[in-house]
Amino acid sequence: MSSRSTTIPHRSSVSSTTSSQPPQTSHSQSRTQQPQRLTAQQLAERVISPASILFPHGSTPPPGRDRLQAQRRSPFPMDRRHPSSFQQLEKLGEGTYATVYKGRNRQTGDLVALKEIHLDSEEGTPSTAIREISLMKELKHENIVTLYDVIHTENKLMLVFEYMDKDLKKYMDARGDRGQLDQVTIKRFMQDLLRGVAFCHENRVLHRDLKPQNLLINTRGQLKLADFGLARAFGIPVNTFSNEVVTLWYRAPDVLLGSRTYNTSIDIWSAGCIMAEMYTGRPLFPGTTNEDQLQKIFRLMGTPSERTWPGISQLPEYKANFPSYATQSLAILLPQVDQLGLDLLGKLLQLRPENRINAQDALRHPWFQDLPDYVGQGRVQVSSSLHQPGQLGHQGVVPGGYGTQPGLVGPGGY
Amino acid sequence: MAPISSVEYLSNPLVTSNQLLDLKNSERDNGLSVRFAQAQLTSAAGILLRLPQEVIAQAIVLLQRFWVSSRPEDREGFSPKTFSAATIYLAAKLSATPVAPRSVVNVYAYLTSKASPLLFVNPQGAPTDPDPADYYVSEGTYERERQRLFVCESVVLVGIGFDTRVALPYSLALTYIQVLGVSSASLARRVFEHLNAGLLSPQLLHLTHQPHALAVAAIYVAARETGIKLVEQNWWEVFDVDREDLGFLVLAYGSLANFAEAEAKKWKGIALSLD
Repeated sequence: MSSRSTTIPHRSSVSSTTSSQPPQTSHSQSRTQQPQRLTAQQLAERVISPASILFPHGSTPPPGRDRLQAQRRSPFPMDRRHPSSFQQLEKLGEGTYATVYKGRNRQTGDLVALKEIHLDSEEGTPSTAIREISLMKELKHENIVTLYDVIHTENKLMLVFEYMDKDLKKYMDARGDRGQLDQVTIKRFMQDLLRGVAFCHENRVLHRDLKPQNLLINTRGQLKLADFGLARAFGIPVNTFSNEVVTLWYRAPDVLLGSRTYNTSIDIWSAGCIMAEMYTGRPLFPGTTNEDQLQKIFRLMGTPSERTWPGISQLPEYKANFPSYATQSLAILLPQVDQLGLDLLGKLLQLRPENRINAQDALRHPWFQDLPDYVGQGRVQVSSSLHQPGQLGHQGVVPGGYGTQPGLVGPGGY
Repeated sequence: MAPISSVEYLSNPLVTSNQLLDLKNSERDNGLSVRFAQAQLTSAAGILLRLPQEVIAQAIVLLQRFWVSSRPEDREGFSPKTFSAATIYLAAKLSATPVAPRSVVNVYAYLTSKASPLLFVNPQGAPTDPDPADYYVSEGTYERERQRLFVCESVVLVGIGFDTRVALPYSLALTYIQVLGVSSASLARRVFEHLNAGLLSPQLLHLTHQPHALAVAAIYVAARETGIKLVEQNWWEVFDVDREDLGFLVLAYGSLANFAEAEAKKWKGIALSLD
């Protein structure tokens, strides 16, 4: 590693102050440039008076991340940091530790999503909020919801996000045919999803909670990853992770089996579940408990054994008496998916985490090949075509077949 | 935005000369002493809270980042003691070993009471039979202190821009010792002692140098002290540390004991308030 010669990458700034105050110097990322050679005496002087390192010899401060840059980049004017610079509109949802409102920038009229964090009286600033902010301010990508700003007042923490029209769940309910989306949309969404996931993984961030409710769609029909409250950076050394992650239905079998050494592959499993759900309009594995969830997975994918998954019996939740199921064909369960799509799905939904495809490779899968490398324009057309009602079965879907499929009988209310 | 390279996970944001200048200009005469004492207080509290050294180190680095990246008026709002408590609470919360706010309040009450073993709190030393009533925290006091702790925590978070990740030199140092073929318990111990002491340095070493440089310098000093011969060549260059940085850090680690002694002499018989 040669960090000496490389400048340390800038983390983008999240300006967060207690109120609108003159900009403060923020933590800079760049190290001072190579100082000139020092004589022994100069060196000693530096040490005797530690404060003298304040004057690095012959060096000019490198262009660090500074607040002015951040303000230029931001779509908001100077006084945006005050909560009152946003008009709070209707409530969009209630998360685990936050309430999300639609908001409008009073000066520009732009729509934003305001995530108001409840400062917990037991915990102080929720650790989930800290994780989300510290990760989101670094993850700037087309397929990840942008965190514009963090507004901090004495008793409130408000995250200002890019406004997104609706989440994938609502989108499917509203646009799809009984929740089912058409092939082109699914392919685009999967590409968006995998691009976002790939970017996270390249940056050593696990999302850990991918589900349709956390995937947001904007009016241009772009899908973006949101809600990084459970996400965490995976660095070195890797501590054992909590296995209390990922909503049950999208949780990978290795996590369900109690593995604490999971990695990027858990997000890939979730992506596979979401892909199937976009086709059927129903969750692929709607388990009710940890055990039921595993059973539903095994019923389709086959019950794993030491032979198919060496080391599985060492996992904490492994039971020798799991009901033994044979592997079912995805094609029977999902007749509406084309051959290439089934191939990709099969690679995403591998029981053994080591066998799961990674996000980069998944994006190179031939299934995506007929997808033009779109620009925003094409996207608008696609999404507007979806406005038309009555697209029932227009891509050769066999309607009505789903409820009777094993493992697909969703619990009431879904 | 530029993608974050993986080096980021082995490196920390570093301080600019302007930030150091601002810190120096905003500090009062005994600023160095206060920061030194505050780091010791944080370390002692972490030990009493049975936190791993990594968490303690993270807390101290966060504290240092806050000093240089916050505005003076932010630092006025709370006492050095409360900032110390807030960072240790914050670092623990983000780790695998969170601690209850009650424990933090109790520990800080103890460490700043008449029963405290810390010399800058009790210059005459702790009484042999401390009265538990001296550091008892009543329910009412606890409620107030907890509130203060939480508000202070959020001030720290905002001050450091929610950048709570800290890369530490410990595991690097062990790897380097192994690579150099001189791995031994005594050397590793001495290296860790230097790294731990370095956290207390008022020179903010973790803000001026990256973990790999800190690790190399601690190994250099420790090897010399324990009489272990390292390879003849300029081995530090292998680890991407140049002679100048090494020289600076070696003097920094080597001079810390003298600095601590000078501080002890300076404050002999006088209490240094962190309240």
